[in-house]
Amino acid sequence: MTPAPYAQTPPAANTTLLEVHDLSVHYGYGAGATKAVQNVSFRLAHGEFVGLVGESGSGKSTLGFALTGLSKPPAHIEKGRILFGGKDIASLDAEQLREQRHGGIAMVLQSGMNALNPVRSIRNHFVDIFRAHGHVDRSRWTARATELIGKVELTPQVLDRFPGELSGGMRQRVSIALALSLEPELMVFDEPTTALDVLVQHAVMNTIIELQKSENFTAILISHDLGIVLESAQRVMVMHEGRIVEDAPARQILENPQADYTRMLLSHYADPRAEVVELPGFADRQQRKAEGASRTEAATHTPTVSPRTLRADQHAMIVENVSKIYPAPRRGEAPVRAVDNVSFTLEPGAALALVGASGSGKSTIAKLITAVEKPTSGRIRFGDLDVGSLNRRHFRRLHRDVQMVFQDPYSALNPLHTVEYALTRPVINFTGLHGTDARRRVLELLDIVGLNPVEEFAAKLPHQLSGGQRQRVVIARALASDPQVIIADEPVSMLDVSLRAGVLALLEDLREQWGVSLLYITHDLLSARVVTDNIMVLNGGAVVETGNTADVLRNPQDDYTIRLLDAIPNPRKVVA
Amino acid sequence: MTTSLPPTTAAIRAPITAIGEAPSAWKVVVRVASTVWSNGKARIGLVMLALFVLLAIFAPLIAPYGASETGFERSADGSAAHWLGTTAAGEDVLSQLLYGAQVSIFVGLVAGLLSTIIAVLIGLSWGYVRGFGADVINFIVNLFLVIPGLPLMIVIAAYLSGGGIGMIIVVVVITGWAWGARVLRSQTQSLRSRDFVTAAVFSGERPFRIVFREILPNMTSLIVGNFFGAATAAILAEAGLEFLGLGDSTVVSWGTMLFWAQNSNALLTGQWALLFAPGLCIALLATSLTLINFGVDGISNPRLREGTKR
Repeated sequence: MTPAPYAQTPPAANTTLLEVHDLSVHYGYGAGATKAVQNVSFRLAHGEFVGLVGESGSGKSTLGFALTGLSKPPAHIEKGRILFGGKDIASLDAEQLREQRHGGIAMVLQSGMNALNPVRSIRNHFVDIFRAHGHVDRSRWTARATELIGKVELTPQVLDRFPGELSGGMRQRVSIALALSLEPELMVFDEPTTALDVLVQHAVMNTIIELQKSENFTAILISHDLGIVLESAQRVMVMHEGRIVEDAPARQILENPQADYTRMLLSHYADPRAEVVELPGFADRQQRKAEGASRTEAATHTPTVSPRTLRADQHAMIVENVSKIYPAPRRGEAPVRAVDNVSFTLEPGAALALVGASGSGKSTIAKLITAVEKPTSGRIRFGDLDVGSLNRRHFRRLHRDVQMVFQDPYSALNPLHTVEYALTRPVINFTGLHGTDARRRVLELLDIVGLNPVEEFAAKLPHQLSGGQRQRVVIARALASDPQVIIADEPVSMLDVSLRAGVLALLEDLREQWGVSLLYITHDLLSARVVTDNIMVLNGGAVVETGNTADVLRNPQDDYTIRLLDAIPNPRKVVA
Repeated sequence: MTTSLPPTTAAIRAPITAIGEAPSAWKVVVRVASTVWSNGKARIGLVMLALFVLLAIFAPLIAPYGASETGFERSADGSAAHWLGTTAAGEDVLSQLLYGAQVSIFVGLVAGLLSTIIAVLIGLSWGYVRGFGADVINFIVNLFLVIPGLPLMIVIAAYLSGGGIGMIIVVVVITGWAWGARVLRSQTQSLRSRDFVTAAVFSGERPFRIVFREILPNMTSLIVGNFFGAATAAILAEAGLEFLGLGDSTVVSWGTMLFWAQNSNALLTGQWALLFAPGLCIALLATSLTLINFGVDGISNPRLREGTKR
């Protein structure tokens, strides 16, 4: 871990580089306009590293685009001024804007890695910029490109590669180098690491922090993740519903947050390695166990049913020496070993976490257990079903008992079917209920996942629901067949921090109430800590560590587990 | 199975008293119609189409004379008695135009519908199945695609000669479905990998239902677009075949009107209305279908639908 940048005293009495005065950005005009940014004012001094935090829809990206003059219709600056080095950005025309990109403002986008032209080599990307701005002598093109690529910790060989040959992290580094090539005074990073894998995320973030120090540019880091921002920025602005609700040095935000919203965001961070882990809605797991089955009042929803007795015929999911090998992606390459000799048993009513970075094989295991893919070798048994060799025709028998909660609630619901339809189908298919009975059951399911008033929610289409509500519908659908096993594949990774705890609490609730066993697949160790009893850490398809969740996270033995734990952005880590 | 369900009524915190009816199919139709109507261009198209359909239906009432009623002055220019003049055979052009609309609209809608149905059935199942079956369909569709359309049409029409309107429809359908099937197949393939399709498998749905209830509604705009495209092509193909004299030249349609006008060198005699009137009608009918297509986009995209209200 690099020392916290804001631990050093920020260079005092600096001149103002950027001044935003009473800025409002609207989408559309008139009364129906969406006011994305409202009356925002702030100053940025030379060499400052400022974080801009907010949840989705808070207007942080809209603000970022306005600062860089990249606002596209229907977004437009309703009022206010953005003074960069004394010039108002809003008043510049397209050509003036283009010219000021050299030595002016550069932006690195969330999907920056996809912003590279797939048919042009990395070298050509640099040459394009050098040619457009003419600020580098032709004879120095290669030297300068090599220098820039070195700054983002890539080797010069990368210059001759094509974007498709680079990993996501490398491509994001390239786009940072491209932004740097114009020697900008102000860099705006819009969620630069969100689309990257956890471990890569950490490394790229460190590069950005190092670069900011060595190149001494001014930086704005836009992120939804307060942890990342607090770790890297000197000053943090918290945005909520288009307004900046708090603007303070990072340490002050952490130790003495003023706004309620900031406090709420902070409350959702905890160190999974701590003795006691508590999140809003979650008391510590160990303590809860000690209190017995009595449930905490803080949980979002408390149905009045008594805990369901375990079914007599409840089965364990038994996975024995399972491997999955995919054919080589290209001729001459080795076949891909996605899952390597994995064995485990998911006992009835248990909660098991499967953690690992992307490519560790955790999603492949989910596919194998649900018979979507067939294992290359090994056996998967569930009751008397041999899942590994299950015929498509017998899927219903398996899916009656094994259901799945998908990662992306935005794509897991058919946009054209109402919530009612999505829930009615599995009810009819699995329980044999029809007509009014089926409808009664659907409304019951909605009530169970806390979507009240049920009648109203039943009639809604997915796009009328928020992300958290959609995920609740997805969970309700998984419950419709009254399954024994629920596989949750990163169920909260696409949700805002404040919504996560609610969905996790719901999953936890259901598991305790219904005696459903849960296979929780995630890269997020903190959520694994609060909802699961046991954990399995996967690396390259193989299990590297397994045991009680709290024990493993407190005393990780394997190097990979330690690296995963280190990669978690945690503001408190800096202070400790 | 019902025995293992959790208690049905006890689980409800607030007892659900009234259980209303689920939204009916009728409401869906109304929703779709209002979506299309809310688009300005589509509204113009619908009005134009409605006008053509009404003219076709009420042609016997509106038309001043019978369609093949001869005995008027031959090749006359427009006058109070014959607004658009008469043909070389002494028939009233306006009456022919009105009666001709019946054939053109009928062939357009029926042939368009039939070729769309075939395209949907083949395209969607082709997109959803994998393996050997897909290869077989692939071969057949490619066969239809590589054969040039117009020559094939002419060969089939010559072979089935004398079949009249039914024959024309068959020819247009045989030569017209393959392109739509290919377009729908590629869209099906991209939708097949979406999470909600996997979720439908988890909901215990059978493949047939997944294809036609989960995937198909998401391609409504593509399918309706395909229908309007096929209908337009059918109207043009019908006119083309008739113009070439491959249809039944005694039937009065816009195509045969063009055929006879060409035969009698209408342009040389200065009777431009003979060519211009049916030509413009064909163009306007095709335009109205294309305009309706704009409104159809909103059906598959609920966001677009709400966007129009703003």
